[in-house]
Amino acid sequence: MSASAIGQTVETERYSGRAMPRVEDRRLLTGSGAYAADLDLDGQLHMSVVRSDVAHGTIRAIDVSAARQREGVVAVYTAADVPDVRIPVRLLPTEAAKGALQPVLARERVRYVGEPVAVVIATDAYTAEDGARDVRVDVDPLPPVVDPNVATTDDAPVLHAAMGTNCLEAFEVSQGGDVDAIFERAHVVVEERFHVNRHGAVPMEPRGLLARHEPDRPLLTVWGVAKVKHHNRRILAELLSLPLEEIRFVELDVGGGFGARGEFYPEDFLVPWAAMQVGRPVKWVEDRRENLVALNQSREQDWTLEVAADAEGRLLAIRASGLFNQGAYVRTHGAALFPRLMINHLPGPYRWEAFAVRTAPVLTNKTPSGTYRGPGQYEPTFVRERALDMVARELRLDPVELRRRNLVTTEDYPYDSGLTDLQTGLPVLYEDGDFPETLDRLLDHTGYADLRADVNARQAAGELVGLGVAVFVEMGTPGIFEQARVVAEADGTFTVHVGIASIGQGIETVLSQIAADELQVPIEQVRMSYRDTDVIPEGQGAFSSRGTVYGGHAVVGAVHDLKEQALAAAADAGGAFEVPADMAYVRGAVCWEDESGPRSVTLAELGAEGSYRYQPEGGSHTAMGANLGVVSLDPDTGRVQLLRYAVAYELGRAINPLTVRGQIRGGVAQGVAGALFEEFAYSPEGQPLSTSFMDYMMPTAAELPDVDVIIVELGERTSDSPLAGAKGAGEGGIVGTAPTVANAVADALGAGADRALTRLPITPERVHRLCRARERAA
Amino acid sequence: MKPARFEYHVVRKVDEALALLAEHGDEAKVLAGGQSLVPLLNFGLAAPAHLVDLNRIEDLAYVRRQEGVLHVGAMTRQATLEASGVVARHWPLLIAALKLVAHPQIRNRGTVGGSLAHADPAAELPVAGAALDARFHVRSTRGARTLTWSELFVTHLTTALEPDELLVDIEVPPLPPGTGWAFAEFSRRHGDFGLGGAAALVTADGDVCREVRIALLGAGATPVRATEAERSLAGGRVDERSAAKAGRLAVEGIRPPGDLHGSAEYRRDLIEAMVRRALLDAAARVRR
Repeated sequence: MSASAIGQTVETERYSGRAMPRVEDRRLLTGSGAYAADLDLDGQLHMSVVRSDVAHGTIRAIDVSAARQREGVVAVYTAADVPDVRIPVRLLPTEAAKGALQPVLARERVRYVGEPVAVVIATDAYTAEDGARDVRVDVDPLPPVVDPNVATTDDAPVLHAAMGTNCLEAFEVSQGGDVDAIFERAHVVVEERFHVNRHGAVPMEPRGLLARHEPDRPLLTVWGVAKVKHHNRRILAELLSLPLEEIRFVELDVGGGFGARGEFYPEDFLVPWAAMQVGRPVKWVEDRRENLVALNQSREQDWTLEVAADAEGRLLAIRASGLFNQGAYVRTHGAALFPRLMINHLPGPYRWEAFAVRTAPVLTNKTPSGTYRGPGQYEPTFVRERALDMVARELRLDPVELRRRNLVTTEDYPYDSGLTDLQTGLPVLYEDGDFPETLDRLLDHTGYADLRADVNARQAAGELVGLGVAVFVEMGTPGIFEQARVVAEADGTFTVHVGIASIGQGIETVLSQIAADELQVPIEQVRMSYRDTDVIPEGQGAFSSRGTVYGGHAVVGAVHDLKEQALAAAADAGGAFEVPADMAYVRGAVCWEDESGPRSVTLAELGAEGSYRYQPEGGSHTAMGANLGVVSLDPDTGRVQLLRYAVAYELGRAINPLTVRGQIRGGVAQGVAGALFEEFAYSPEGQPLSTSFMDYMMPTAAELPDVDVIIVELGERTSDSPLAGAKGAGEGGIVGTAPTVANAVADALGAGADRALTRLPITPERVHRLCRARERAA
Repeated sequence: MKPARFEYHVVRKVDEALALLAEHGDEAKVLAGGQSLVPLLNFGLAAPAHLVDLNRIEDLAYVRRQEGVLHVGAMTRQATLEASGVVARHWPLLIAALKLVAHPQIRNRGTVGGSLAHADPAAELPVAGAALDARFHVRSTRGARTLTWSELFVTHLTTALEPDELLVDIEVPPLPPGTGWAFAEFSRRHGDFGLGGAAALVTADGDVCREVRIALLGAGATPVRATEAERSLAGGRVDERSAAKAGRLAVEGIRPPGDLHGSAEYRRDLIEAMVRRALLDAAARVRR
């Protein structure tokens, strides 16, 4: 029997494409996980952060004497003690952002409630917090500005005096024909202002860091990092002026990221820096009250939008302007990412003759903003899809029909969207997937025609029920490169080292599936390694739904390299200069035949390893989806109940349909939360009002609907790779949720309320008022 | 979110607790289930020098019916009361109220006396106490006294208890035969404090109401009895019209607080609707 024949007989069902339970789950569900707060080192000290309780002001003095005298307090540091550094921008750095970067402790001025002003290092967390309460920060209040529409006026208080303005660089895109002329001749023009509420990630596990400095080695180790550890390690090296190899970052289990956890924050500097000062390990565990004012917030946008359409329901043009409330500082996401994402996700999956969009971030005295699952996608998708329902109403057209008439079809492929890829600078082409098909799958699955007729009948009978639909494009999966190294261990297992981070998204499972398939071994023989920068020197991390695709390609490449290396080593051992034609890799071994018959040597015996860096030419993928929701309203209370929710999501190819479903459901949960519940509210003085879970309305399972997930896989299998055609799935669940819910509520309330549903969240009080107004009008 | 330093006292007898309260006065706080106090300590909103832990006082955890009157020890867990068959048979309004108190985990720890002594006007037990005309037995080293619900609840988070006094027993009189009950409330999330609510007790012969009791949740600084609304129904019948009218009467003159989660006007509307719903449900239960 030849080696290739052996290979054929062992062909088994592949792991890729199978709905497999997560390999992480046993560890996490049995309480064997270890999160940042779980790790302790001998001799460790605890840090507590003194935060500004004033939104805007000049620091006159900071009195730390009482804190320093408290028994158990080892050190207290203010801006006078720490290096005068600013946290740099990681993504799309611009000149404009430089004037608004955040110092690690407030210098001269405080600009938001929650801004770190001092840190107290003590023998335990209780004493550290008592010490923090001892610190007296004397602030001369300055007038705060919280509304971006006010912040952009001439006489508004300026946050960063050297900038002279609160306006960061604006971005503009004008595509197609003469937009103004199109509006002149349009049959219908809808003009509306929209507001998207400030809300954010709020992961279940707050942040936590533990740092140890060993000057004799020399090595500075930081545990508890997440998301983009290699980037952050570089940032820390730069800020501390240390060689990169003297810093080691170690990821632990992470209780959710959603974009916010794992960015470089002031504490990411302060904890390791303090550990170097005091010569003992320093630990900091963020509590929820801090988390709700210190972690990046997101989403707050104000839009003015005009849509033009002709009498046949053909969409013609968009004219729009969007402000993004950046908060007090520009953080690691920079000042270009949001405005550019906002532009790229406004036109959506439709054929426009022209569009003109202007977007700009604005600085205000609120917690700085950053990315949150579906950043710059959720908000413009809400604005556009809500406006399209208004257009449909004006035209007396079914909203689904309006969309169907205007969706880009495969006949238009490759369709030049007129947009520019953020990573490559090349035109964004819609060239895979299928918008009408994805919409049809949603409508077929939910029985749209019957559902619509049923809702209409119930409405006619006086019930407050409504149906909403939204369609979206999601440009995701960017991220330069990823790399992987696969090592055949002596015990017969394979260790897969990869630069991706695990933020709870199931990446261990999915990459194990891919590795096991490529190695032709049981998945139990694959071990994932992603935690330690000493073992994995380079990587990009976990963001933009990139893990499966970038990590997967890197793993596939590394296994291919491993096989080549193993074959070469086996041939070399046999004295051959070239790999003989009948020599092949089969299930963890190299097999061939000689005079004595079939021979083989395991990779464990060969001690082989392979590595690969995946660095594609292209930019983002365009994934797509459609959502449908049915709501009922209680006029007495304004409660919005979701009776039905479904998402069809086209992601090319699903490596693990089970984790994809989990991702979509989680995205819907967070998206509905943003549409109906969650808001970081502020008083006019800039005081945050949502500083506990009593006031930050994160919903529970009781408030959320069951979600039908329709996975649409239209990826073309252009190669043997399990990833051929695959796109990311981390954000597709969230992008279309807000307009779906809002459109359903608008449908329930009828024409009178349509134009009132332009602000999120749609609170029960607002729905109650709209119900009352409707009763009065009737 | 760590409490400031405090001295912790464990007691096993009521007298020991009373002695400590007499000694430390307003420097001391009693720790019952801790479901409100511990968050207040962690947020730094309360920083008592002494904490007197009542959790090991076995004498204060009981549910008894004596001569038709219900007695509940102040340290009885809310979940225990909720599971009581005696209460379910004779004071089902209490069960309805308890089911709206936060989540099961919280009711497992939270105590009946703790919730009442915390006196949050948006909490369910004080409102049920008002509807049921409960009486509160209080002790100190100086002696014992009994307060009615309207004497106990002074204002938001404030009772008539002196710093050295301890709520030990809650007494609930029997309900007349033919009494229907309901507790209606609205909160944005399951288990949250209600934005508005109402407890109703309707005692009727056939359709004719002999007595109606309506207590309002979230209507002001304390639980409130809607006496005008109660009177409007006495001698009449509860139907959509009279219940709606009672709802309107109930919110006349109330001053619910307005905040992030709802304006005063909205809360007034909610309470009005909850009164209507509670009355209709309670009346339906009489007929059953």
